[in-house]
Amino acid sequence: MTTESLNKNDKTEKNEKSPKRVRVLPAPVTGQEVVLVGVIALLWAGLALSTPAFLTAGSIQPLLVATAPIALIGVGMTIVIITGGIDVSVGGAIMVCSVLTAKTLVGSGVNLGVAVLLSVLTGGVLGLVNGVLIAYGRVHAIIITFGTANLFMFLGLQIFGSGTVNGIPGTLAFFGRGPDGRTLGVPHAFLITVLVTAAAWWYLRHTAGGRHFFAIGGDAQAARLAGVRVQRRVLLAYTTTGLLVGLASCFVIAQGTSTLDQTVGSGKELAVIAAVVIGGTSIMGGRGSVLGTLLGALLVQSVASGVTQLGWRSQLSDLFVGIFIIVAVGADLLRARARRSR
Amino acid sequence: MTTTTRGRSDITRLLLTQRIPLLAVLIVVVVVTFFINDAGGYLTASYDFDYMSGSLISAVPLAMLGLAELIVILSGRGGIDLSVGAIVSLSGMIFGFAYGQWGWPLWFAIIATVLFGGLCGAVNGVLVSYIGFPALIATLATFYAFKSIAIVINNQQPISTPPIQELYSLSKSVELPVIGASVPDVPLGIFTFLLPTVVAVWLLLARTAYGRRLYAIGTNDVAARWSGLPVRDTRFKAYVYAGLISGLVAVVTVAQFASARPDAGVSGSGMALPAITIAVLGGVAITGGIGRVAGVVLATLLIVWLNAGILLAFVGNEGSQYQLLALGTVLVFAALLNGLTTRRYGGTV
Amino acid sequence: MTETIDTPRLRLTAVSKRFGAVRAIQHADMTVRAGTVHALVGENGAGKSTMIKIVAGAVTADTGEIEFDGAPARIASTTDAIGLGIATVYQEPQLFPELTVAENIFLGREMKKNGRIDWAGQNARVVELLALLGLPGRYATATVGDLSVAEQQQVSIAKALSGDAKVLILDEPSAILTDAEIEVLFDVVRRLTASGVSVIYISHRLDELFRIADEVTVMRDGRTIGTYPIGDLSVRQIAHLMVGGELSDERPHRQVPDGPAVLELRGLGRESRFHDVDVTVKAGEIVALYGLVGSGVSEIAACIYGIDRATSGEIHLNQQRVTPRNPGHAQRLGIALLPANRKVEGMFGFQSIAFNISAGHLKLLSRFGVLVDRAREKTVATDMIKRLAVKTPHERQPISAMSGGNAQKVVLARQLVERPTVLVLAEPTQGVDVGAKEEIHRLITELAQEGTAVLVVTSDLPEALRIADRIQVVRRGTTTDEFGPDASQVDLLAAAAGGTE
Repeated sequence: MTTESLNKNDKTEKNEKSPKRVRVLPAPVTGQEVVLVGVIALLWAGLALSTPAFLTAGSIQPLLVATAPIALIGVGMTIVIITGGIDVSVGGAIMVCSVLTAKTLVGSGVNLGVAVLLSVLTGGVLGLVNGVLIAYGRVHAIIITFGTANLFMFLGLQIFGSGTVNGIPGTLAFFGRGPDGRTLGVPHAFLITVLVTAAAWWYLRHTAGGRHFFAIGGDAQAARLAGVRVQRRVLLAYTTTGLLVGLASCFVIAQGTSTLDQTVGSGKELAVIAAVVIGGTSIMGGRGSVLGTLLGALLVQSVASGVTQLGWRSQLSDLFVGIFIIVAVGADLLRARARRSR
Repeated sequence: MTTTTRGRSDITRLLLTQRIPLLAVLIVVVVVTFFINDAGGYLTASYDFDYMSGSLISAVPLAMLGLAELIVILSGRGGIDLSVGAIVSLSGMIFGFAYGQWGWPLWFAIIATVLFGGLCGAVNGVLVSYIGFPALIATLATFYAFKSIAIVINNQQPISTPPIQELYSLSKSVELPVIGASVPDVPLGIFTFLLPTVVAVWLLLARTAYGRRLYAIGTNDVAARWSGLPVRDTRFKAYVYAGLISGLVAVVTVAQFASARPDAGVSGSGMALPAITIAVLGGVAITGGIGRVAGVVLATLLIVWLNAGILLAFVGNEGSQYQLLALGTVLVFAALLNGLTTRRYGGTV
Repeated sequence: MTETIDTPRLRLTAVSKRFGAVRAIQHADMTVRAGTVHALVGENGAGKSTMIKIVAGAVTADTGEIEFDGAPARIASTTDAIGLGIATVYQEPQLFPELTVAENIFLGREMKKNGRIDWAGQNARVVELLALLGLPGRYATATVGDLSVAEQQQVSIAKALSGDAKVLILDEPSAILTDAEIEVLFDVVRRLTASGVSVIYISHRLDELFRIADEVTVMRDGRTIGTYPIGDLSVRQIAHLMVGGELSDERPHRQVPDGPAVLELRGLGRESRFHDVDVTVKAGEIVALYGLVGSGVSEIAACIYGIDRATSGEIHLNQQRVTPRNPGHAQRLGIALLPANRKVEGMFGFQSIAFNISAGHLKLLSRFGVLVDRAREKTVATDMIKRLAVKTPHERQPISAMSGGNAQKVVLARQLVERPTVLVLAEPTQGVDVGAKEEIHRLITELAQEGTAVLVVTSDLPEALRIADRIQVVRRGTTTDEFGPDASQVDLLAAAAGGTE
């Protein structure tokens, strides 16, 4: 087979300039990502000019730490949305993972590894619940995850018991804002997020399993006929999101003070979806990029940071998030329209 | 349609495919269960008709926003409105300014607030219907934008000037005329806001030409176009109506809190998610074209009376937590039921 | 061009298939030789699609034998067919628009190296396949959504060939293509046969068979009439074989009142769809616009109704020039249209009959244009049910629960509520049983009797002959010949399919 195709390849070489140099994949970075990098660069430049304190480690490091949990969960959410689904239960899942982990830390003083493992596995189980219901219950993902969001919040509040969790030891400082949370000035939480994003980017781009997520989002029925194991892939997408929620919950605990209150995770599902959408992933499924999601999360966080540093009301940053979503998706709509009219 | 000759499987089928009888049965089950528990002395306070009636106050915003979601989801093409809670916050602030600070007459302030809500809905409508944004995205964006403006507009401060505080009287319970002696007092908001909205939405959907067009575009918007219906205009208006209702809910909420709070509709998990839950539970198909006012109203009663009972069954804030459990379980159950009936009976009503 | 080989590539002997009470095909025979293009022709409903479904494994024959390369073969599933090397390209390409061409071709059976997709290997194979089709290798990495319809079809062919196909079935490949694109398709087909692949080619355009096919099998009423070398036949002869003996025209001759044209299309055109279309319809007249699938007939109807805008020419209604902006506007002008695709364009699935009839007439059926007058709605619906003989217990029955014929009557009823001056009917009896077909035809005649100008857009030849007072043939996007009701089926088919004598 290979020798045969090589021979044939030689034949076509006369027509093509040089098949070995031909790009075998679409561009690794999408237009939307390039634009996002540009927008972030402009924003940072603008902020640096108006508030000299912006481009300092003391300002950038917290910004990166704050970006990490949203971007990390965003990796899973991107995959879920690529398959044509959505998960609005991640806020509730964050609450369950973080309160369970925090209580365990307070109660039995486990070490970092055990704490992370506990949180990640808890998240994985919650994701699995979503995945099973969606893949095998054949129900709209948004409805099911609205339901499980309530169940997760119940579970989280039950574990909270009364009020807040206090006196959480610094076991997770490795992911935190402090000096223990950095190597060579780079916050570990952000570093891990970048590594996970890179791994997911490679997986989605270069493996059959990764490409199948896109096929499912394009046309699940046709994908099934082509031999894609749709239900298993969907299950995997939600479970992965759950696992990442577990890891991100460790970041959330580490970022806070030594207390955890009952609002933890609240509204995070929409923040994650916003980052994914700004990053160029289509809510209709079939198209998207985890790299874009990381940039989307970074942009949102940069705006939030910038708004505060300029001395504006911090809630004003939400207005910008809304505008970014409209602009990002609007540009995409125009592109799709241009493509259709061709 | 008599049931005398129906076999047991027919009744099962009826309950599974017809959401309204199912909800009615569930309400009876819930109420009877709590009555029995009450009689057995397991509840922290008495679960009786007075209590049930008083608990209806929380049904007012929930059912109204559930109806707003009903209209939007009916319009099809993934119709949904995540921004209703943010519209409630923002319109509430507008009402706070108009009535509480600028001293506009109450009726005028209410009309202005409702129209402002409609304007917010029109933003959604333009984005979704005329520009073609997926509804989830458009309303996610406006959720953020409206929420932000609501908080920033008065420097994060609520408005609770004396005129606003006096509005609290709107949410107290009143004795009904004529039959009032023999039935429990009913929260005033039911009559001033909820019932008029229910009647208006029912008229809109079941009796007007617009309602027909809405069901038509939600069922099949290609066929609607080939039938000469104004598809975009109809879908646009669905979001405007949802905004108008949200504006009215803003007035209700300000009255309930005796204060125009900038985060009224978005604190916690916000108002949009429970509203969507109520709509889905009421049998509204997320794909559009299927859903009725009665379903939404019954779903609200079920949840409100279930929640009210749960509050009495547990001590302290445990009750409010079990409400989440109940809501989540009921929603997952309803969704799975929809999936099951679609497969077994080929469609639900 | 082809060597004669003794054992045929594929032989079907005495194959039969029933669907319930309907005999889709009976005792059909077909022999496809290696390296040839074998055309399969027949009118709508003659059994062509059942034939190819049996070969492709989508349907299993009840009786009969299939031989592949001389050995008896069992094709019980599409997997069996693919295993034998039989690949099918259906009219609608099933591709993933966001993936590249190479990915589409290998989806579900990717080439792998160290756990990752072997892009270079896949690509080399795809470039090879594309070269076989005469396409540039750079297509391999193009995103499918960026390609034109014709290019997507070529990708589907490449995908079908990727499993080393020996038999390639092309189902009406030319219907969606422009003339230039058809040339490319023919090139591809010739390359394939030169490399030994057998192609089963289904087409309505008889003229193109003479340019591409080696042999032709003609089907009629579920039977194969015979297989002939293409050189032995003319378009007229094929048409003759397809329609069989001339049907006696049972229809009494209608007298069309003379008068000015109610609807007149003057040189109507829409870019790259159709051009220079001239049609006139008088009050009380039934004119059929007869053309094959892909000839542009359906697009003409869409323009009259304001779904699409014409880019040239004029539409005149009662001697006044009109430009329907959208279906609502067309309705106000007095034009009604029965859409061709009932399920997608016509029916409001789970809504009631009354709902389906009153949709589009809500202004008329409302008090002050706001509140629906339900009593009147019910009256209109029950009247229509009676008039169109819709079989239903009551007007609240959901339309999705009805048979094709009854559902079609309901959709037709919607067009009649406001008594249009011009009624356009697109494929009025597609997917409708015989009884309902008769009734719909009778109804159309009645409507014309009452003075409606009726334009029937159809690709159903007997239908055109049965009901029309005049038949306007559309070929390759323009009106060509006109026939009276006495024309023969052969003449019409030959005119539409491109037989020029």
